[in-house]
Amino acid sequence: MTTPLIGVSKSILKIKELIHHVANTCLNVLITGETGVGKEVVAQSLYSESARSSKNFVKINCAALPETLLESELYGYEKGAFTGAHRKRPGKFQTADKGVLFLDEIGDMPISLQSKMLHVLQSGEFSPLGSDTEFKTDVWVIAATNHNLEESIRNKTFREDLFYRLNIIKIEIPPLRERKEDIPPLIEYYYRTYKSEYPESGGTKPDAHTLEILCNYPWPGNVRQLQNCIKKQIVLRSWSKIIDELPKEHPMIPAEIQTETNTNSNQIQINPEFANDRTGIISQFVDLSTSSEKLFEDISLKKIKKLASDRVEKEVITFVLEKVGWNRSRASKILKISYKTLLYKMTEFKVHPPI
Amino acid sequence: MADPIKLLIVDDNEDILSTFYEFFNSMGYEVKTAVDGFAALKLLREKSSFFDCLITDLVMPNISGVGLISIVKKEYTHLKIIAMTGYGDQPGALASEAEADVVLFKPIDLFKIENTVSELLNSKDDNE
Ligand SMILES: Nc1ncnc2c1ncn2[C@@H]1O[C@H](COP(=O)(O)OP(=O)(O)OP(=O)(O)O)[C@@H](O)[C@H]1O
Ligand SMILES: [Mg+2]
Repeated sequence: MTTPLIGVSKSILKIKELIHHVANTCLNVLITGETGVGKEVVAQSLYSESARSSKNFVKINCAALPETLLESELYGYEKGAFTGAHRKRPGKFQTADKGVLFLDEIGDMPISLQSKMLHVLQSGEFSPLGSDTEFKTDVWVIAATNHNLEESIRNKTFREDLFYRLNIIKIEIPPLRERKEDIPPLIEYYYRTYKSEYPESGGTKPDAHTLEILCNYPWPGNVRQLQNCIKKQIVLRSWSKIIDELPKEHPMIPAEIQTETNTNSNQIQINPEFANDRTGIISQFVDLSTSSEKLFEDISLKKIKKLASDRVEKEVITFVLEKVGWNRSRASKILKISYKTLLYKMTEFKVHPPI
Repeated sequence: MADPIKLLIVDDNEDILSTFYEFFNSMGYEVKTAVDGFAALKLLREKSSFFDCLITDLVMPNISGVGLISIVKKEYTHLKIIAMTGYGDQPGALASEAEADVVLFKPIDLFKIENTVSELLNSKDDNE
């Protein structure tokens, strides 16, 4: 079953309308947005509104596979094409014929495979590994990424010509914190979904106060994170526990929310305009709510610099470690610091692998 | 006197859009404008037979100019298409591939575009 695209915000309504208008054009689509915003949901919606919905929807994750495997998955191979190719195997382009090929995480496709992809999109033909024959393909290509491809182009990790070829229709999904109106209907939808999956459970819908907190939380993991919370609530049966467990140490979250939700205070002052505002950033490192005398005493550029750079370093280190499956020596090479420094910093910032 | 020629001009840069609007209006054309390919497509879906010529930028959000051209070529075949781009060769090449009648590179002389429009529409009259 495909997930419906839930949402009432202007941006989601516009995306729905756009889907409706382009579902039968077969033009290449590029979907962008942070992790968990619903890129795959949008790809599925395009497919199910199109005349191709009776054919296959084939997904391939370009970030999950090593280069050579990704290539053979995409194009297939002939018997004997490489050691271990005992018999011929069709690729995703073939399986997706007349249907949709969803190139997920296209921004992570190794640059060496991008030129072949470009060629296939240009000519509509491909040849499996170890074969000289070119096969015609009729697939609708929908690609998604959470990278900023313009930046990747500048860093030479993504081909400009491939970008323009994919970017014929561009669907940008804003992060959930920029479309808070979608939060209540998403909660409603997933609450009902899980409730029907676990009818015996004691989960409840959030009350007005909880809903307000949920609507003002910045959801760094977007809809996926919200969805997980609702699922967890069905089991834990307590919204306050769920809210307590929301990661607060995220750089996008202002100090007010971080401390206030922690203390579970009843009067939560939520400032929705926190994202880029100056005091929002500063308040992460100094308490702005005190008298200006005390404040001026507390503000020290050196101190704030240390706090801010620690915060960012911690995030970057965790990010890289997660990407390389907590392989410390690889992470230290990527970060261009010594192995010892990395271990030291991990202890200092309390970065631990997940249990 | 004949009906004025009806143009649909698409660009995500409002300054360019209003300059074009003023210019073609003063030259006696009937002009509608759209800020991206999606807005343009909606205008076309409302009254496709209304327009004679599409002048479109290429790199735009939602539906790009290349996307718009491909759709117009399939669904509204009577329209003449002029593509304009300020982004180097690639979008321009894609626009030619999508069979725009003319591809121009920015900055573009307004009188030159006007010339191109009337040439395109005259050749259409000749063919009919
Ligand atoms: N608008 C929406 N309506 C209903 N469910 C949604 C919506 N957006 C996201 N979801 C749900 O949230 C989860 C994450 O969505 P999805 O997998 O599409 O995100 P994504 O953008 O592809 O993320 P990633 O970049 O991590 O791959 C899924 O379970 C999906 O069903
Ligand atoms: Mg995804």
